[in-house]
Amino acid sequence: MTSRARSGVLARVPLAVSAALVLVPLLVAVLGPLVPLDARPGLPYNAQGALGTDGLGRDVLQLLLTGGRTALGMAFGAVLVAYLAGGLIGLTAASTRHRWLDEALIRPLDVLLPLPSLLVISVVAVGWRASAFAITLAVAMVNVPTVARLVRAAALDAASGPVVEALRMQRESWFGIHLGYVGRAVLGPVAADIGTRITLAVFLVASVNFLGLGLSPTAPDWAVSVSRNREGLLLQPWAVIAPALMLVSFTLGFNLLADRLVHHSRRLVEVAR
Amino acid sequence: MRSYAAQRAVLAIVQLAVLSVLVFVLTTLLPGDAAEMRFTETLAPEQVERMRAQLGLDQPALERFTQWLGNVLTGDLGTSLISGGPVTDIVRNSVGATVVLTLATLAVVVPLAVALGIVMGTRENGRLDRAITSVTLALSAIPDFVIAVLLVAVFSLKLGWLPATWIGGDLLASPVLLVLPVAVLFGRTVCLLSRQVRAGTITALQAEYVVQARRLGVPRRRLLVRHVLPNAAVPGVQELARTGDTLLGGVLVVEAIFAIPGFATALVDGVETRDVPVVQGLTLVLAVAALVINLGADLLCNRLVPRTELLR
Repeated sequence: MTSRARSGVLARVPLAVSAALVLVPLLVAVLGPLVPLDARPGLPYNAQGALGTDGLGRDVLQLLLTGGRTALGMAFGAVLVAYLAGGLIGLTAASTRHRWLDEALIRPLDVLLPLPSLLVISVVAVGWRASAFAITLAVAMVNVPTVARLVRAAALDAASGPVVEALRMQRESWFGIHLGYVGRAVLGPVAADIGTRITLAVFLVASVNFLGLGLSPTAPDWAVSVSRNREGLLLQPWAVIAPALMLVSFTLGFNLLADRLVHHSRRLVEVAR
Repeated sequence: MRSYAAQRAVLAIVQLAVLSVLVFVLTTLLPGDAAEMRFTETLAPEQVERMRAQLGLDQPALERFTQWLGNVLTGDLGTSLISGGPVTDIVRNSVGATVVLTLATLAVVVPLAVALGIVMGTRENGRLDRAITSVTLALSAIPDFVIAVLLVAVFSLKLGWLPATWIGGDLLASPVLLVLPVAVLFGRTVCLLSRQVRAGTITALQAEYVVQARRLGVPRRRLLVRHVLPNAAVPGVQELARTGDTLLGGVLVVEAIFAIPGFATALVDGVETRDVPVVQGLTLVLAVAALVINLGADLLCNRLVPRTELLR
């Protein structure tokens, strides 16, 4: 079969560019809160300071430096939790010899699959308003069913192939087969999935915060900033554009990287077969 | 052998049952009940206690659940804590705008995504395919609310061509109100959907029966419409059901930005005022809608490409 070329002109964007698109917001998010900046509150939508002030007269640059922690951190946390729970369920379901256990683990997830994610989150938000932890858990919960199914499918795919049969005939140990071969075969699709999932989680967290269902409306979070300052967009564009650029740069860069990984892992799967 | 449709319907009923329990449990588990939420500032503790008895909140959870479920099954979703009116009225008043918005978006998105997907799929890795894929990939990376904020800034604040917010009146009567909201919703959905149709088309084109049909001299147009499209549509339809989720998120954002009094606005209001019966009712109705859409999508896929077993 002909190797499927990567899609699009954008995929020919050098790796360095996509990496930079991801790294800039990431570094701002991680190191931003450490930057000592003596910004004094001024007038609302004023031009004072490097990027001016927002609707509450706070320095936009400082908000930008401190707002990434929640915007990206909540998404990363959610995907991590989703993979800890969903990955465990998926791997157990795939490696068990008891069909009932497989069914018992996977069927309940089928039931949860069509639940609209924003609904789950808004219900959680009624009780645990403005709690970054609760929102992160809710976003994770929404992702568990798909993660579990993906991991299960990828593991079964590898475990039912001729390679495992051959390894078994060579009396390779259970751990050798499952961790050494199946585990490695799962890593490719998982890496590709994490790429797209993190972007989706960033979207979801940002939408929740933008709607005011998540963090408090005065939080420095990027999405909250876009929401709060949007009526002043023509007066002081930076208050909206700077945090929006951070979010877009991150998701665009991650999409490009994930696109690369998807093609890479497809090749991996083909080789593994 | 049971038919696919029957199996799928049974799954949907189980889903519905689990879902109703879930909605109830999630909303009752919330810290602080309705009586406390509403009255702690103004009422003495014993008055709160009486209120709780009046609202039936002192009953055990199981009893409350059966009562709530019984009411729901007879079409009674409870009473709003804020307005005092029945939740069914709130649902009925808000559902129209959301349905109009969603249908208007789909009417634009589906034909365009199918056309783009086929154009890309039949020219795999051609220049046009690459160009469209790049644009869709880039567009799908921009959050809905960023697009919305920018479009409003340019088209209503700067140029003054289109209204920035809903100012009353019927959405259907003045389509101009729909232009910006639909434009916001359309971007990401088209991207997600057309990529699926593209992938489906490529897979279908490589299938043996298509190669054989081509050898037999089936004309290109007939080949595409009769043989490729039904198979290419399957991932598309599944994605459409799944993007229902993305679309709903978008609808929420769009309704909030353009101040359209729809389902999402009612839901956000309910969350903000901690009006639990309203949130319960709206969540239940939307979840049921999502279930029905998924059921419909699966049945449609099975019509297009018959399968005997449930997809796993």
